[in-house]
Amino acid sequence: MSHSTTAAEYRWVRADLRARRAQALLAILAVAGIVTALITAATLLEDGTNPWRGLFVRGNGAHVWIHTKDAPNPATLKGLDGVTDVAGPYRSAPATLVQGRKKTPVALQEMAAALPAVGRPLVREGRWLDADDPEGVVVERSFADAVGLRPGGSFSVIGLNGATHDLTVIGLAESGDQGFYPEWTPGLAWTLAATLEQVEPAIGRSESVTGLRLADPDDTSLIVQRTITKLAGQVQRVSTWREVQASMELDNRLLGVLLALFGAAGLVAAALAIANATGGRVLTQQRDIATLKSLGFTRRQVVRMLLAEHGTLGLAGIVLGVICGRLITVYALGETVVIPLSSAPLLAIAFGTALVVLVAVWLPAWRGGRTPPIPAASVAPPRGHLSRMARLALLVRLPPALVLGARDAFTRRLPALLTTFGLAVPMMMITIGLGCWASLDAFKSHPEQVGQAASLTVRPGSLTSQAANRLALADPDVVAAYPGTEVDALVPGQTRTVRARALGTVTDPYPFSVVEGRLFQDRGEAVAGQGLLDLLHVQIGDRTRLTIGGTPLIVRIVGRVLEPEQDGEVLSVPLDSLAPKDALPPQFYSLVLRQGADPAAVRSRLQAQALEVSQAVNPADRLSVIRVIIVALVVVLALLGLANLLTASALGLRDHALDLAVLKAMGLTPRQVMATLVTGTGLLVVIGVGAGAVAGAFVSSGLIDLQGAASGMGAGIGRAPAPATLLLAVLAAVGASLLVALIPARKAARARIPVTPR
Amino acid sequence: MTIASAPSAIHTVNLVKIYQTGGLPVHAVRGIDLRVEPGEFVAVMGPSGSGKSTLVHMLGGLDTRTSGEIWVDGKRADTLTESAWAILRRQKIGFVFQFFNLVDNMTVADNVELPALLGGASARHARERRQYLLGELGLTDKADASPAQLSGGEQQRVALARALANQPQVLLADEPTGNLDSRNTRDVLRVLGEVHRQGQTIVMVTHDARVAGLADRVVTLLDGQIVDDAAIAAVRRRPKGGAGGVVELRG
Repeated sequence: MSHSTTAAEYRWVRADLRARRAQALLAILAVAGIVTALITAATLLEDGTNPWRGLFVRGNGAHVWIHTKDAPNPATLKGLDGVTDVAGPYRSAPATLVQGRKKTPVALQEMAAALPAVGRPLVREGRWLDADDPEGVVVERSFADAVGLRPGGSFSVIGLNGATHDLTVIGLAESGDQGFYPEWTPGLAWTLAATLEQVEPAIGRSESVTGLRLADPDDTSLIVQRTITKLAGQVQRVSTWREVQASMELDNRLLGVLLALFGAAGLVAAALAIANATGGRVLTQQRDIATLKSLGFTRRQVVRMLLAEHGTLGLAGIVLGVICGRLITVYALGETVVIPLSSAPLLAIAFGTALVVLVAVWLPAWRGGRTPPIPAASVAPPRGHLSRMARLALLVRLPPALVLGARDAFTRRLPALLTTFGLAVPMMMITIGLGCWASLDAFKSHPEQVGQAASLTVRPGSLTSQAANRLALADPDVVAAYPGTEVDALVPGQTRTVRARALGTVTDPYPFSVVEGRLFQDRGEAVAGQGLLDLLHVQIGDRTRLTIGGTPLIVRIVGRVLEPEQDGEVLSVPLDSLAPKDALPPQFYSLVLRQGADPAAVRSRLQAQALEVSQAVNPADRLSVIRVIIVALVVVLALLGLANLLTASALGLRDHALDLAVLKAMGLTPRQVMATLVTGTGLLVVIGVGAGAVAGAFVSSGLIDLQGAASGMGAGIGRAPAPATLLLAVLAAVGASLLVALIPARKAARARIPVTPR
Repeated sequence: MTIASAPSAIHTVNLVKIYQTGGLPVHAVRGIDLRVEPGEFVAVMGPSGSGKSTLVHMLGGLDTRTSGEIWVDGKRADTLTESAWAILRRQKIGFVFQFFNLVDNMTVADNVELPALLGGASARHARERRQYLLGELGLTDKADASPAQLSGGEQQRVALARALANQPQVLLADEPTGNLDSRNTRDVLRVLGEVHRQGQTIVMVTHDARVAGLADRVVTLLDGQIVDDAAIAAVRRRPKGGAGGVVELRG
């Protein structure tokens, strides 16, 4: 093909795009919206579940931390191949933090008053170390939260020599160089060198910590080996960024699956919208395409032109979407998100959408290519019998405008089907989104229904367990305390251990949320989360053999519970099932609070009494990012629905332009003509939206349960959206659609209709 | 008609078209042998449904034949694929339709340049050709207008310019004046006459005897067959002035 025939194609595409700027813009915006939503969602997901990445980049963290007896020469380490910079060496000494009767190990690490270039802690509250304030320390935030320290508060530390020193918290900081407390122990506090010197004067009882920043993080293990060799026998232990990252990572499987589901559905909706828009456009252009073919355009050229035109719009949308996604993460979410999406998911989103766009455009383009080249051929829709729907409308004596509209709705089967589907899919996804929302609300308001009857866990700390139990039950808001112990159990045939939780007793069982089977009623019976059933390939009713602390234990699994922890890989037994050496004294008490009590308030009261109290993390808190995604997707899906609707209404107008003249001649008023047109589109809207809402309502709780099962937590978490919410959503969708259909219909009804074909 | 030294512009042998509509075969064209010599102006007449349009569509490859042969410029064309027909149309055949069929989205200038660009001409050459044609047809000042802003006659003249853009061997016109008033009809016929005088081969479908009077030769179809094929005296070849009284048709 010569250059010039492309010029002919280009000229036509340009002219066509100019003639329908608004429609083209809407197509671009729809695709851009989907891509933006996907990128934003993926960024939030990546960032929310992997806080290490942001901390590490913002703090210019070190990939490897080497703990040595004596301070190594930083120049030697910096000279290592692959090491770009060195942090420290800093002196670090163990100490004990004392609050009342409670003692917690803490690592004190020296730092300068000026923040270093590499491995910089990020001050979140208060201020950084100050040379004028030698008593002031900065505490790592997760540790401070766990032990209840606030900026301005003071505490005491006891050094290894037994001397007590009073220190003041001047700031809280986060760091990507160490995991969160309590997953990563001991807790960390940064002090000035002089302060550390006071607490631990003996150099021999402290160690030296040096951070290495690497050119390529993948070389970590190699460089660790080289460093160990280089420092010959000096190295006591090494921590790498991988361990830190792993300790900070949240379980993101449920989120990931939900996001993937929404993303896929969004893409399907986008594909339908694009296919419908392109198909509608091609249909309205049949005469032009036939003319082009009579001029000598080949079928292949027509397909190529249509693909180029509509594909370009889609690709422009993708580019715009990527840019918008980036801008949103940089500006709108600048506070929460530090790093833009990594390139793998970004490329997957961009290329996935591009593929969807091309496939969605290809089919109508192919059909357009098959247009016969006779421009005079009738392009009016097949007319004739009243549709079944219209006959039904006549039977129930509806006004004539409605009957005619009902007939019009189905004159073109394929576009009618595409429109209905194009509206049903977004509506279904919106309903599923509402279902997710309702499920999250249920998590929040009824944690006992998702396996979190106890919102606090008390560990005796320095007290005896009876004393702890007594103290806890003395609190007015505590309704019950269940003794419990968590042990690792070995399972035959498994290379790893599973968590066995002994909680409550046979006579006084903990209120598990049993969703299948029943609760244990005897020793030797157990309940398990979905994750464990999947891991061991067992079913309810099966017996399984475990080894706990060397003692074999055979239990029969009699029920499945909702298990929000450990990916559901938890086996729960009554405490009296365990051998006394494993069971007594109980490690902790799970506290069930009075309905409506504030767990944080109870926690601080109990903490004041030297108890170690931790608060359960509601699964909904971990999933809160889903709400943002739901809102964003509802907006995008609504946009797609709108695109579909405009196509349908444009097609309807074009198909019936001639009929309108006849209808007016028959004596229909403009108002009736308008009603006819709106009914034609509106009927498809009502069917599509209704079908989507019904399908979504049926599917949503099942789908969420499926996700729950996949994440190990187990089916039984899904909730359908409340009927009132759903009704409101349906009414809003139908109402908005009718309004959108009304505008062109009004215009058409008032316009004078030409009687000639063109 | 004897076999000329130069190949016929168009030649058909026993051309048949049968439509299948709802299982019932409809014989639109039943065995037409037609030879159009270069430079000839042939009018195809006949009542509605006599197969005129089907014949012209088949001659230009817009519709496929059921059986028989079509030769264009001495080459067999009925066996061509759809794409090969399209390329043949680009180079050798111009079409004019009853409803003009200008591309609404494009300006008059773009509409006329499109076939030249499609034929492989450079943008400059296409522009020059368009300027020449629109000038000849008195439409220079309408170049940037959209087709919807033009009168029917003007639109049909633009369509003519578009059909002539690639200097086709044959101009096929399907009721070019069927949708025009008498004044516009006169304008279009005047242009057709001029083009013909410059040597353009034209096959024109019409059911207007006055329009047919412009042609060298009138072929009359009835029920898909040629029932009359007669040359018109050269002196009668005038667009107006009682042509309708001259042409007497049998049947």
